[in-house]
Amino acid sequence: MNLLAISISHHTAPVELREALYLTNDEIKEVIEGSKGKLFSEGLVISTCNRTEIYGIPVDPKINYQDVQNFILIKKPVPQIHQDNFRNFFSKGAVKHLFRLISGIDSMLIGDNQIYHQVKDSFQFAEVNQFTGFLMRRLFDAAVKTGKRAISETEISEGAVTVSYAAVQLIEKIFSSLNKKSALVIGAGETGEIAAKHLLDRGIGKLAITNRTVERAEKLAESLSKGFLTEKAKIIPFTTFKEYIHEYDIILSATSSENFILTKDDIQSAMKKRSKNAMVLMDIAIPRDIDPEAKKIDNVFCNDIDSLNIIVEQNLAKRKEEIPKVEKIVEEELANFFNWFSSLELAPTIKNLRDFFETIRAEEVDKNKNRFSHEDQEKLEIVTKRIINKILHHPTTELKKFSENNKSTDEAIVKVSIIRELFGMDKQNNPAAAGEEKGGNS
Amino acid sequence: MDSFIDFLTVLLPILYIVTFIIYFYDFMKGGKRFTNSKRLFLFITLLVHSIYLFTRTIHFNHPPITNVFEIFTVLAFSVGFSYFILELVTDIRGTGPFIIIIALFFQIISSLFIEDLVEVKEVLRSNLLGIHVVSALIGYSGITISAVYGFLYLVLYKDIKLNKFGLIFNRLPSLEVLEKLSFYSATIGFVLLSIAIIIGIIWLPKAFPDYSYADPKLIGSFLVWILYSIGILNKVFGKWQGKRVILFSILGFVIAILSTTLTNFLASSFHSFY
Repeated sequence: MNLLAISISHHTAPVELREALYLTNDEIKEVIEGSKGKLFSEGLVISTCNRTEIYGIPVDPKINYQDVQNFILIKKPVPQIHQDNFRNFFSKGAVKHLFRLISGIDSMLIGDNQIYHQVKDSFQFAEVNQFTGFLMRRLFDAAVKTGKRAISETEISEGAVTVSYAAVQLIEKIFSSLNKKSALVIGAGETGEIAAKHLLDRGIGKLAITNRTVERAEKLAESLSKGFLTEKAKIIPFTTFKEYIHEYDIILSATSSENFILTKDDIQSAMKKRSKNAMVLMDIAIPRDIDPEAKKIDNVFCNDIDSLNIIVEQNLAKRKEEIPKVEKIVEEELANFFNWFSSLELAPTIKNLRDFFETIRAEEVDKNKNRFSHEDQEKLEIVTKRIINKILHHPTTELKKFSENNKSTDEAIVKVSIIRELFGMDKQNNPAAAGEEKGGNS
Repeated sequence: MDSFIDFLTVLLPILYIVTFIIYFYDFMKGGKRFTNSKRLFLFITLLVHSIYLFTRTIHFNHPPITNVFEIFTVLAFSVGFSYFILELVTDIRGTGPFIIIIALFFQIISSLFIEDLVEVKEVLRSNLLGIHVVSALIGYSGITISAVYGFLYLVLYKDIKLNKFGLIFNRLPSLEVLEKLSFYSATIGFVLLSIAIIIGIIWLPKAFPDYSYADPKLIGSFLVWILYSIGILNKVFGKWQGKRVILFSILGFVIAILSTTLTNFLASSFHSFY
């Protein structure tokens, strides 16, 4: 299989280079338009914050990695980039890399299933921009199947592997369902935003934000309401938020304050007001925002970054243990894909097609020959063979032309695939059985 | 028939052991290998157990409630069956080994010491007594399960407080779910104990003309009933939450066990029949 791929990722390049080579959708469109028909007959471009990868079936066998690398660097010049920053794959290696990628085992965060969706989106983008053909579509189906199997058959994506998600996982070990709970996010910075998104993602019932700068809190509330179609998060002034903390089951703090902004006494008085109903305090700030002494209060669960990191480390270790299982799935799907691909070769297909028809003919003649006299039976053999030969003459000649004239392999692959599919040649190892099935249906 | 009953008497602890091992293995290892099949094992065990109880009732012409070892096998069934229903209704499957071990314990004791009693006191053949004992046993199963969930709550509570995110943290449901399960089991247990007490009060004068309300068993049962009613009311009206309710449930269970043990084995009571 003449598939070519180049990749720049966290394995080979620092973040500055990855950022520099990151492609927006408009840029991907330009790359597709620039390479379609010139470099590749069909292909795929994936670009995320951690990697940029280009896959394609070269229009000319002489096209190599260097040509693809040069092409992308002309489109998006990055002076510091070096040959070593790229990984190059060909044929089986390229397919295997794509399968490993979509399964999450090539990701920076092992098992990160975000890449699964990103690869799917990239395929869809290639499809919309008419960059996919018969082979890429089949490759896409196989890749998606591999990714799905990895997620459902192993625990590669189980457990939280980021601090903010670990916070949500821990909260869910205390409260059964977040949709009847309320949360207050203190600090509208990046960490607070991610945590708020996770909470909304898990269906938090009520969300409020407080921040020293009200405008920033409002901006975050606005962006959250857009993304999640929920009612807008409530804004509480930073100067008075302590008066309201008893109203919230979850308090998630992520400010850059140098001192504690919530003391044990604050929590104690809040607990009195809420009849000692359980309260979760997630302190994901450095330095800490909440006095760790608050942990000593009954029904108060106070966790900081260190404790959340324990969960993250444990989950990452568990995911790493799952890698061999995912590699096995990748190998299985790789074998399936290449079994299918090798069946598309011309010579075996012509032979299979002739065998298929010959078996049906022989069986039918055998079943019915007693209706004919001994002399006619010989004629029956000759006549039926002649009919089969005539039926197969044109398709056989057409298929042979592809190999003789070295015409576009794409066209040959499509035609071979259609023939195999129409006559069920991949499903039935035994053409006679296929013949009987056909006879049964007619 | 005797040999069939003897066979089931031996088979039942084995089935409970196998079921417990499968639930325990699943708890320790996780994964999906026994997620559904373990429930099937529990179902088969309970089915065999119900055949055993039914056969004994028919063959010996009285329900198996006439001595402590007969009661233990009913208690084992009641605990196992209550858990089975709870697992079906809530679909919470990670707590099985902690409950099934109790059923296993009662069944082993019962199978070791149970006797084939044909002759029983006439007073023990009453239908009212049957309802009284069955509701009391299900009630005790309820408070036992409540205590187990309470205990699990405390273990998980402590683990979270101490940042211990091991097996207990990964396998058990949330604290809120454990609290609910403990509370619901206690409530069901309380309602059935109330029924048992009411029937007992109605039946008592008819069965024992020389009864006394100062009987240690009656006092013990009433104390347990008062304790649970205080806990349940405080929880319902939102005065008590979380750890406090759980501690009260465990305290209720400990007093119930102490009361039953002391009155059955130490004190002299009209309520002892063996």
